[in-house]
Amino acid sequence: MSLLICLYNFVQDGLVKNNMDKLTFYAMTFPEKLDRIGMYLEQKLSRDIHRHRIGFVFVAMDALDQLLMACHSHSLNLFVESFLKMVQKLLESNETELQILATQSFVKFANIEEDTPSYHRRYDFFVSKFSAMCHSGSNDEETQAKIRGAGLRGLQGVVRKTVSDDLQVNIWDPIHMDKIVPSLLYNMHDPKFMSVDLESPKDEDHPAYIAEMVFRDLVCRASYGNIKSGLKPVLIHMDNHKLWVPNDFAVKCFKIIMYSVQQQYGYLVIQMLMSHLDKHVKSDPAIKASIIEVLYESVLISAGGSIGPSVLDVFNTLLRHLRISVDSKSEDLQKRNMEKKFEEAIINTIGEFAKNLPDYQKIEIMMFILAKFPQFGSDEFGFQLKFLTASTQVATKYRTVTMTNAFPTEFLQPLLRVSMHDDPALRITVQEILHTLIDRHENSQKLRKVSMPKDIAQLDLLVEKVPRQDSLFMKKSGIQFYWHILENLNMESNRVDNFEALYCTLCLISIEMGGEDIAVELLRLALDIQNLAIESNLPMTHKCCIHALVAAYLNLVSQVMALPPLTQYVRDVVDQRQKSTPYLLPDFAYNRSNRPTSYPQSENIAENCLFSETMMQEFLTECGYDTSRLSTPLAHKPHSTMDMALSGSASDLGSINIEVESVESSPLVARKQYGEEITVESLKKMLAEDSSLKKEEESRRRMEIFETFKTAPFEEIVARSEAKSNHFHNKLNEILDKVSQPSEGSDNHRKSVDENSIPVFEMQFPQLYVY
Amino acid sequence: MEDYKYLFKVVLIGEAGVGKTCLVRRFTQGLFPPGQGATIGVDFMIKTVEINGEKIKIWDTAGQERFRSITQSYYHSANALILVYDVCSQLSFDSLPHWIHEIEKYANTKVLSYLVGNKIDQINRREIPEHIGKQFAKRYEMNFMETSAKEAENVDTLFLDIAMELTKLARQQELDTDKSPTFSAGTTTVVSNCSSCFRF
Repeated sequence: MSLLICLYNFVQDGLVKNNMDKLTFYAMTFPEKLDRIGMYLEQKLSRDIHRHRIGFVFVAMDALDQLLMACHSHSLNLFVESFLKMVQKLLESNETELQILATQSFVKFANIEEDTPSYHRRYDFFVSKFSAMCHSGSNDEETQAKIRGAGLRGLQGVVRKTVSDDLQVNIWDPIHMDKIVPSLLYNMHDPKFMSVDLESPKDEDHPAYIAEMVFRDLVCRASYGNIKSGLKPVLIHMDNHKLWVPNDFAVKCFKIIMYSVQQQYGYLVIQMLMSHLDKHVKSDPAIKASIIEVLYESVLISAGGSIGPSVLDVFNTLLRHLRISVDSKSEDLQKRNMEKKFEEAIINTIGEFAKNLPDYQKIEIMMFILAKFPQFGSDEFGFQLKFLTASTQVATKYRTVTMTNAFPTEFLQPLLRVSMHDDPALRITVQEILHTLIDRHENSQKLRKVSMPKDIAQLDLLVEKVPRQDSLFMKKSGIQFYWHILENLNMESNRVDNFEALYCTLCLISIEMGGEDIAVELLRLALDIQNLAIESNLPMTHKCCIHALVAAYLNLVSQVMALPPLTQYVRDVVDQRQKSTPYLLPDFAYNRSNRPTSYPQSENIAENCLFSETMMQEFLTECGYDTSRLSTPLAHKPHSTMDMALSGSASDLGSINIEVESVESSPLVARKQYGEEITVESLKKMLAEDSSLKKEEESRRRMEIFETFKTAPFEEIVARSEAKSNHFHNKLNEILDKVSQPSEGSDNHRKSVDENSIPVFEMQFPQLYVY
Repeated sequence: MEDYKYLFKVVLIGEAGVGKTCLVRRFTQGLFPPGQGATIGVDFMIKTVEINGEKIKIWDTAGQERFRSITQSYYHSANALILVYDVCSQLSFDSLPHWIHEIEKYANTKVLSYLVGNKIDQINRREIPEHIGKQFAKRYEMNFMETSAKEAENVDTLFLDIAMELTKLARQQELDTDKSPTFSAGTTTVVSNCSSCFRF
């Protein structure tokens, strides 16, 4: 006791070290006395504060601090009570000095680790008071900074003290967080401080800096359960202080959060932002755009960790907002601009999210986007375009390794279905998606223009040997590509850009997947395309484009596949065209400044200007290819309900159809139109051929059809059949007409066919010939 | 040596510029600061009331919309709320239902609430007659008072009234429940008095 009195007697100018040492020693020797000492000091202190004897207050605090530091933690528990009471008293006084002093002591206390539980100890007052100090509005800037700094440090102390310890008050309680977080953010939001970049030395005592530090500290201590309660006030603060637009501060804030938060919880932050976006559905597009931008930035940082368990949910939310925004096209031009910006931001963000996904999920996401793709309807065009742009974004992030992985049937079919959309711009987008997915060697840029280089080395293409599984993939799914490309070319709404995009797709397919097995098919495709141009009712401009496309394509394919005789043949035809029909070459056909008058009136094209099947067959045989497939048009409709439903009757019709043609023993052009060329030679060949291979393929196709109907969604099938039904009816009528006329002859012929023992499976697959 | 027996937390709320800070200043420091700036966030004042040896902690909050979220977090543990409006401003009166809604949402259910019309010294600019305020307070079961921070009218009465009311409630509670001394602020706390003499 006397020691303490001594202590006070000599305190006129600071604590006497000697006496203090004695006291410390005493307290350490008899720790049980510590709480009495604490109580005494506390009473002295409150009396001194009351009487405004500031000097004594300092001494008492100093003594308390030293005792606190010196003594072992297990004996501190009761002493802490009086200590905290004193700190509180100091904070309650209106003297700035005392408040700062109290904070300092408190911070010292906060750094001591206690091992005894203190359930009853409460920090309500400290949190409240420190938060209030953070908002200090003192007129004197220096004092203001001091008080705010002290408040911030105090908050940090409280957080440190309680956050990691289950035996303490739960600081993550919303009651506390609602005070702490806004106080931190309020101080962080200092325009002067925003510009300071991370590297330059900082004013360590600036409240904004301290606030940032404390904030980082807080966020990095957050665990799964309480990160939300910490972030909610942030979002509310942003709303209240209108900090979304402009969003510099919001971006900064979330950058800090993303950098500090424990990696595995990053996705929670993203989730919070998403749900916050949901709350703002009706808000100004500018705000939404800003939130999305913040989201974008956050995703960039958290790379990989940004997507939690609910991948599809993330995309679903984004797509929904995209949809809402497109739906609510506002009249106001300025607002509309903001909306556009918002939509773009969403699309970018989708791309950014996708980047963080493993490859197989990217395809899943694209499938998801396509599944959300609205059914055909012209009024939703803008939306459809946006959706496709979104999936393009995803596609660009995808690195194709094998085609089978890149195009699972469930993805390929919807995608190709969309490729038949009425709108040309949309079709281009689909083609672009195909480009990015097929292209593995960055060739697509080099194939943007339809051209006829003598040597394709000029294009500087990167070609690698086609892996086996890709050839297999093409064998399986190639037919779908071919058919859709043909149909696409057949669209009257095509523009030059569409043709170019299709050309690019064709070339990419042949470069990336055109193995030896596929080569013949690809060449056959060229012939089919040519036939299409000859037979269809497209305007002259389109026909020229198609012819030019075929020429350019054959030129490229023959060179890529190293078929010199064919290359030579292509050159010959091109030369021929150069002389007589230059309008069938790319230089003319893809010249955008053409006028309608510059096209020829007549549609007749000399035989020698076209690529002839027989000639090509010859050259291919020369190169050692099996040319039997070249004579079979590839293009047939991919499997759909209609085919299936009609298969019973169509099989007969189809077979009759063949016979009709063969009876007439028509000229070359007509023969190409319909399926099998039935001549004595071909039948002989068929007999000679080992049919097991074909059989196998047929059975595989059968399986495929089966699969399609098992897996394809009902709506898809219905939609497809609806789109096609008209076309189908026409064809059907046409066929029926034909059948009714020469039925007699066909019957006769059928017998002969049977005698020649055409394998039965030929009859069973009518859809091959329906087209 | 504690110099108070009860500790109460009182929070002032209301629209910006109705004179909350001035009321508090008048009560705690006895002065009327003419050029008072807008409060940022929350401000804290303390005063010991003589009658029963009570201590009143007054949290003065900012009225501005953007500080709403932080001020809300302060009502939660308040013993009494003083909702202030300006008798010269219809606007501040019109927003009262909104504030009452806030109180219902965030504050303790047992909170003692007061409706206070401030600035009655400006007789000529008065827009809300006293009876209207009274009626309003009655409808929402609040206590009503009109004050002037400038003329120090009713200010002390207001706070002393609150103190008395709260003491009464606290005493009642004391009888009802068995309480142990707890540390620090917030709810009503009985702090044990200990003797000043020490023996080692």
